[in-house]
Amino acid sequence: MSAPIRIVIVGGGTAGWMTAAAFASVFGSAHRNIRLIESSEIGIVGVGEATLPHIRFFNRRIGIDERELMAKTQATFKLGIEFRDWARLGDSYIHPFGAYGSRIGGIGFHHYWLRRHLAGDTTNIAEYSLPIVAARENRFALPSEDPTDVMSTFGYAFQFDASLYAAYLRGFAETRGVQRTDGKIVDVALRGADGAVESLKLDSGEVVTGDLFIDCSGFRGLLIEQSLKTGYEEWTRWLPCDRAMAVPCENSGPLTPYTRATAREAGWQWRIPLQHRMGNGYVYSSGFISDDEAAAKLVSRLDGKALATPRPLRFTAGRRRKTWNRNVVAIGLAGGFLEPLESTSIHLIQVAITTLIDYLTERAMMQPGGFDTRTVDAYNRWMEMEYDRVRDFLILHYHATEREDTPLWNYCRNMPIPDSLAHKMELFRARASVVTYKDGLFLEPSWLAVYFGQRVMPVGYDVRVDSIPDAQVAAQLAQVRERTSDAVARMPTHEEFLRIYCPAAPVAASGARA
Amino acid sequence: MSAISRIVVAGSGPVAWLTAAALLRAFRQPTPDVLVVDTGDSRDARVGRWLLPSQRGMHALLGIAEPHFMQRTGATFKLATEHNGWQGTGSQFLHAHGDIGIEFRGLPFYKFLQSENLAGRAARPESFSVAGSAARLGKFARPAASADQLTSSFTYSFHCDEAAYADYLRAHAVRLGARAAPAALADVSLNDAGAIEALRLADGSPVTADLFVDCSGPEARLIGRVSRAAREDWSAWLPCDCMWSARSPAPRDTSAVTRTFAADAGWFWRAPLAQSTMVGHVFSSRFQDAAAARETLQAFEPALRGEPTLTRFAAGRRRSVWERNCVAIGASAVELEPLAGADLHLAQIGIATLVELFPRDRRSAIEAAEYNRLMAEYADALRDFTFAHYHIGAARPGEFWSSIRAQALPANLAARLDLYGASGRINLLDHESFEETDWAWLFLGTGFPADSLELQTRLQLAQLAPQEVTALRTHIQRLVQSMPSHGDFLRHQAAATPRASQ
Repeated sequence: MSAPIRIVIVGGGTAGWMTAAAFASVFGSAHRNIRLIESSEIGIVGVGEATLPHIRFFNRRIGIDERELMAKTQATFKLGIEFRDWARLGDSYIHPFGAYGSRIGGIGFHHYWLRRHLAGDTTNIAEYSLPIVAARENRFALPSEDPTDVMSTFGYAFQFDASLYAAYLRGFAETRGVQRTDGKIVDVALRGADGAVESLKLDSGEVVTGDLFIDCSGFRGLLIEQSLKTGYEEWTRWLPCDRAMAVPCENSGPLTPYTRATAREAGWQWRIPLQHRMGNGYVYSSGFISDDEAAAKLVSRLDGKALATPRPLRFTAGRRRKTWNRNVVAIGLAGGFLEPLESTSIHLIQVAITTLIDYLTERAMMQPGGFDTRTVDAYNRWMEMEYDRVRDFLILHYHATEREDTPLWNYCRNMPIPDSLAHKMELFRARASVVTYKDGLFLEPSWLAVYFGQRVMPVGYDVRVDSIPDAQVAAQLAQVRERTSDAVARMPTHEEFLRIYCPAAPVAASGARA
Repeated sequence: MSAISRIVVAGSGPVAWLTAAALLRAFRQPTPDVLVVDTGDSRDARVGRWLLPSQRGMHALLGIAEPHFMQRTGATFKLATEHNGWQGTGSQFLHAHGDIGIEFRGLPFYKFLQSENLAGRAARPESFSVAGSAARLGKFARPAASADQLTSSFTYSFHCDEAAYADYLRAHAVRLGARAAPAALADVSLNDAGAIEALRLADGSPVTADLFVDCSGPEARLIGRVSRAAREDWSAWLPCDCMWSARSPAPRDTSAVTRTFAADAGWFWRAPLAQSTMVGHVFSSRFQDAAAARETLQAFEPALRGEPTLTRFAAGRRRSVWERNCVAIGASAVELEPLAGADLHLAQIGIATLVELFPRDRRSAIEAAEYNRLMAEYADALRDFTFAHYHIGAARPGEFWSSIRAQALPANLAARLDLYGASGRINLLDHESFEETDWAWLFLGTGFPADSLELQTRLQLAQLAPQEVTALRTHIQRLVQSMPSHGDFLRHQAAATPRASQ
């Protein structure tokens, strides 16, 4: 292989440093030269961040030590997301990182539960999910690797401070030779021949050239949009929230091993417990509430004392028409925005990075700038699929509601939804069948959690379940409930586990970062 | 229990009896009433067929003992298909039912062969495949779990006689409780809503049911009445529409291999049965008339026993294979030439999907919509896999081949070839039958070039020592040498199988 590829990353938030860390780790220094340009004058969006279990694959792939990461980022464990007040005021359900029961005779467990439920059984499907039962009791332990053990039926993720996460990854990347430059980009030069990015001019006067430019500049898309005019596909008609207010507050009460998303009058409020404080935010639609009112509502609904004044954010739900255009790949908010309702922000960054690593060919490395359009097209199709599938899942939360108390919910309840989602919902309502796919986020248990949680209640189930005697089904269900509650009773509390596993350095409350 | 308790299966061939048997096994307590109505003349005329390994799973589900089935149908094992001349005279490649090498640090071994090809070194995947090497040497053994990963690195399927297999499945389905209607189908009447009201049999008696499954083959005698949706025509990509097939007396080549030979207007095939050999000529009547095609079959295999039979088909699929109270399974839904041997596999997916989506009552519009969506994906992927054999590699001379080459590719196949061509990557669709390894056999075998490798793969391959590769090949050779010949295996199995009466 000839000269190493020159990778220039624009922006140093979560996306920028995840990209830098991954490329530095996967490709040895003989094969790449990585520069990251960030301006210490431009703040990063990083707020309290909640992740999905897939991040553990990312950590393993690039060699990040999980305990160290957790200790350095004030992290807590996450077993799922609690949704409050979504289908009706007063409702609460958890979307867990794990399955409900296990398949019996090749048929999904939920069909057995449904048969009993429709016949009057009053147990909640949540009682058959270990991560839900553990989350409700604020307990945590690592899963077992023995597939016969009920403790193997769940996964976990992290809730951490995004600024500390970026700082941690920066250390990781710099140790592996990533060169960081503090500067502002004042000009982008395009090549006459093919319109690809030639170089970046910094405020210091320096001109930075490269082969591959990764745009992690955030929502504005400095390279992908402002320079290359790639275009954006907007999804506001389905996902009307376009603003957020974010504010940290003091912790109070036990540390919950889950994130909470509470539906509000014009959107929803997140609550992410970290070891040293709590991250909060109100995601709302500017058509239904003013910024001032949203900020006031948010501050009035915190668990503890606010540690800063609310910080406003603006966005438009959707994705870039191509996230890889010429020699620019947009990762993070530059590539698209889906509200953090299901903690997909970091996940979509991760998918963009690992897919890019998977698709980069040695030929691209040998012929700088000469990216094969066949590869680029395949990458873009893949990312479109990822975004579109997450989109449908998010819309489900808004659309499947019975709330009539505010204009936002009336709009969402009545809005036309994508055909792909309408088909999925109709099939589930008729017979509890979940449309599944091979690639892309959210497997059957996730869809089940949200369908049931949002009161999309099927009228039928797999007919084969009826051939099993009722007493046998009842006994099987009872056994799952018992095994689950027994296992949870043996788990330590979340706080006990954190104290032993990954205690973070104490932070004075006044020094908390936003 | 479902209110759908009376099911009529219309058809005469293996698909009909397979469907009847599978529905009886899937739904027990209470068992549905499954009545099979003969559709008479639509019985497929081919002398035999080859199957995909998934058929073994179906047999297991139905409770079919493999040695018994093989003895009754004169079946032989199949480890691979050998394709001759498809990429020009003298070209040959193998597609075996098994892995290529052993996964190396999470990397499929075929990546190593890609890198050899890029370096200009020929690398035959069968040298690194147990199934492929055994196929080449005429050997056979069943895969078995052991400390040696290679002994379970392959699978197999069968060649069998068409009529004998249909009869066998029929007897089995009847044992499971399927009833045969007293007379053949005469006609179909619809109700005002366009659903099937009743079938009328040749003896004048009416037959009603909650669900009608059309396994009547290309004539599509039920779904053809119910569904007004157009058929999707694939003949521009797959112009073959006829097959002469016959038997030749001696089992002159007993390898567990199906062999195909590209010809001027299609292709020939040859496959072993226990006591004879089957041969066929699949051709396009647009480019060769039936009489000429028959003569060329005779020239290909002079020692034919009996008259060759002609089977006709029209490559394509029905857009709506489940409509109202009628589900089409088999050639009534999708017609595809036999190259991939996937007819019964696709029927099996149709059955399994019907079981998964089995309606609770007669309101089944959403089930039908989902079924149609899934089956279209599976069928299109099989079409693409079949068509890729014609499309890839150096073109053969002649009008037949150049007409195929002139066709624009289906979008999914174009995307797949582009991605492979750029990087050697193989991405699978959500619903398709063939796996990454199958496509690797096809791409490597046909010499379809990957212009580059993933950088990451290159870095991983740098850690693969040449001695490891040599050791793997030697290990496979030794393993295959120790297997019995396919003929000996069959004889031994037959001797050990009691000739159970039915």
